[in-house]
Amino acid sequence: MSSRRPYPAWAPWLFLAPFLLFFTAFGAWPLVRSFMLAFEQTFGPRTTVYVGALNFRFLLHDPLFWAAVRNTAVFTAGTLVVQVPVALALALLLNRPDLRGRAAFRLIFFSPTIVGSIFVGVIFSLLLEKRSGLVNTLLHAAFHSWNPDFPWVDGFVMPSLLMASLWLSVGFNMSYLLAALQNVPADQLDAAAIDGANAWQRFRHVTLPAIQPVVGILILLTAVGALQLFDLPFILYADSFGNGPNNAALSIVTYLYQTGFRSGDLGYASAIGWILTIVLVLIALGYRWLTREEDAAS
Amino acid sequence: MKSFFAGIVRTLSPGISLVLGLGIISAIVVALLPLQPRGGIEIWLGDGNHANLYRALAPEWNRRHPDLPLTVTLISGPALQSRMLSGFYSGTPLPDLIEVERGQIGQVFAGPLQDVGFTDLTGLLARDGLTHEIDPASYSPWTSRGRIFGLPRGAHPVMLAYRSDLVEAAGIDVKQIETWDDYFRLMRPLLQDLDGDGYIDRYPLTISLTNASFSEIFLIQGGGGYFDAMGNPLLNSATNARIVARLATWYAGPGRVIGDINMYTGAGLRLLREGYAVAIPSADWYVGNLPVSLPSLAGKIKLMPLPAWERGGRRTSANGGTMIGVTKASKHQEVAWELAKFLYLSPVIARQLYDLTHIVSPVKSTWSASYYDRPEPYFCGQPVGRLLQQAIPDIPPRPSSPYLSSAVQLVNSAITQLMAITDRQGYVRPEQAAADARRLLDEAQHTLLDQIHRNVFQQAPATP
Repeated sequence: MSSRRPYPAWAPWLFLAPFLLFFTAFGAWPLVRSFMLAFEQTFGPRTTVYVGALNFRFLLHDPLFWAAVRNTAVFTAGTLVVQVPVALALALLLNRPDLRGRAAFRLIFFSPTIVGSIFVGVIFSLLLEKRSGLVNTLLHAAFHSWNPDFPWVDGFVMPSLLMASLWLSVGFNMSYLLAALQNVPADQLDAAAIDGANAWQRFRHVTLPAIQPVVGILILLTAVGALQLFDLPFILYADSFGNGPNNAALSIVTYLYQTGFRSGDLGYASAIGWILTIVLVLIALGYRWLTREEDAAS
Repeated sequence: MKSFFAGIVRTLSPGISLVLGLGIISAIVVALLPLQPRGGIEIWLGDGNHANLYRALAPEWNRRHPDLPLTVTLISGPALQSRMLSGFYSGTPLPDLIEVERGQIGQVFAGPLQDVGFTDLTGLLARDGLTHEIDPASYSPWTSRGRIFGLPRGAHPVMLAYRSDLVEAAGIDVKQIETWDDYFRLMRPLLQDLDGDGYIDRYPLTISLTNASFSEIFLIQGGGGYFDAMGNPLLNSATNARIVARLATWYAGPGRVIGDINMYTGAGLRLLREGYAVAIPSADWYVGNLPVSLPSLAGKIKLMPLPAWERGGRRTSANGGTMIGVTKASKHQEVAWELAKFLYLSPVIARQLYDLTHIVSPVKSTWSASYYDRPEPYFCGQPVGRLLQQAIPDIPPRPSSPYLSSAVQLVNSAITQLMAITDRQGYVRPEQAAADARRLLDEAQHTLLDQIHRNVFQQAPATP
């Protein structure tokens, strides 16, 4: 048996080269450069001054950064509390074989995901407009005492963002859960029913454990997505560049964008980016730690 | 080696091989294409009206400068800003001249003075006797640390555009209005619940709270503002606190008299048409926009000077603006400066721009032009141009700063918070909100100073 390889020794490197090239140019190097930038003050990439940990120290006392952290945390918590249960409820509903028009409903619920966040942001800014928006117009028509100038967007920033986000993403999450629900072993559900388990007990003790891995990954994806909130407030509060009234819509990524690309302070923006990265990594590690037993079992 | 490539071709399907081959060939061809050398003199701008005017003048310019023909490149606002800053920061290709809006200029001034990407025009303006030929307040947005970096396109005085049909039907004589207090007292009958549902359907005035520049119009009119001429922040000045307290009691609480609609959206324009608001502060460019956006209001709108904050006070303000600057990257500095003057000082363009947009030139020699006296049927026969022009000498300066957008956001946040307090506490009189206004503006000032002091490129704010 010949030990001669059927390809030249450099062949694997040739195949890896495109990836390595692109990853180095657009992944690794920017990562290294942004880490270096976090310790510099910049006026564009050419004029930089090393400032040590000044950017990180300033972050600790920057009220706008903490406002952004608070808003992002509230949005993330709100998204998790609202979105995953609603997506699960919709998936359970659409998983019922006796429901007529299931395919149509799936398409309807999934369609906002297809049109994208910019479109959803524009639609919601029109829907929630004072006086002329559809929501206020309908509510005023239905209940004469409803204030036609009700300030949905200005006075209820987080609920408005959560509503828009729910409409945008619930169909996507629902499709994951629907796929998981369709893989729940029917024989186990049947056996539980024969043993006298009611609908809630079947859901609690059969369905939920079976879809738990998908729910877990969905929670992780939703949290990571929510922490990167940017486009919805940027569209809904376009006049204030995504800040909203009293900075109530300012998210960490919006603040990063404003600092880096509106103020030109790439160093400070990099420091914000690294803080966000550390938070995301911690969340991912936390998720891995929480699901370690499950991983070991599988 | 040969067998290796033959192996790859054998492994891949004919279709994939074809796509791969085409991709490789295309990449090689693109890489070998020679870069088109930029000839002549080029200007980037973001306004279609301006672009059309300048293109129409290109033949005349080209006749004078056959070796440096004019290229006008229209780029959308955000793309223009990105490309401009990329050029300033990283040396990517830039034109000889760029027309920039006020909201885009702050970032240009953020670094050391010598790194500003526009040529310092202060000496050229003095050399050519232009320093005093142009309304001095119009230079202020384009000035950083005492140096002027652009020629202003318009003066942008702000007047009050009001629904004359509604005001006159109510028997209100606007000539009796001198101050904001007069205004709201006389216009009180027009604060109306038209359908009896308990909610106000018509306000004497509207200005959008969500619009970033709303507070500036009032602050600078009243003698306040965000920065002094040397770039020192003034957010917590006594004047600002007084104005902010009044704005909060106008916008919120039991004495609310101002509507809040975004006049730049279709929905906002519809509400204006339906009479939700009686009046709206309007800069010259917004005045020019009214006949286009709201043609059905022809003969129902008039202009009047802004009511003053106190008797004998300033009756105008300023809003928006565009400048032209020569980039340091230009290889034809003198010719670019000549082109800037050709486009911005030309009485022909000043007239065309007025006809198209109602933007009034800040160049003093154009102010006596007869077209400003033309009665305009849309505005009930008023000589709108003359009214706007007469307001120019009273326009307050708007000092620029890299921290302008931060300052605007901080002040607007303070106003929003004060409105919430006003609603909660039921404040009606500005004096009731004054202490809270001062406290919130102190916080805003403190935050802004922290940001400024962190910037190692900016010298410490100078003492005036």
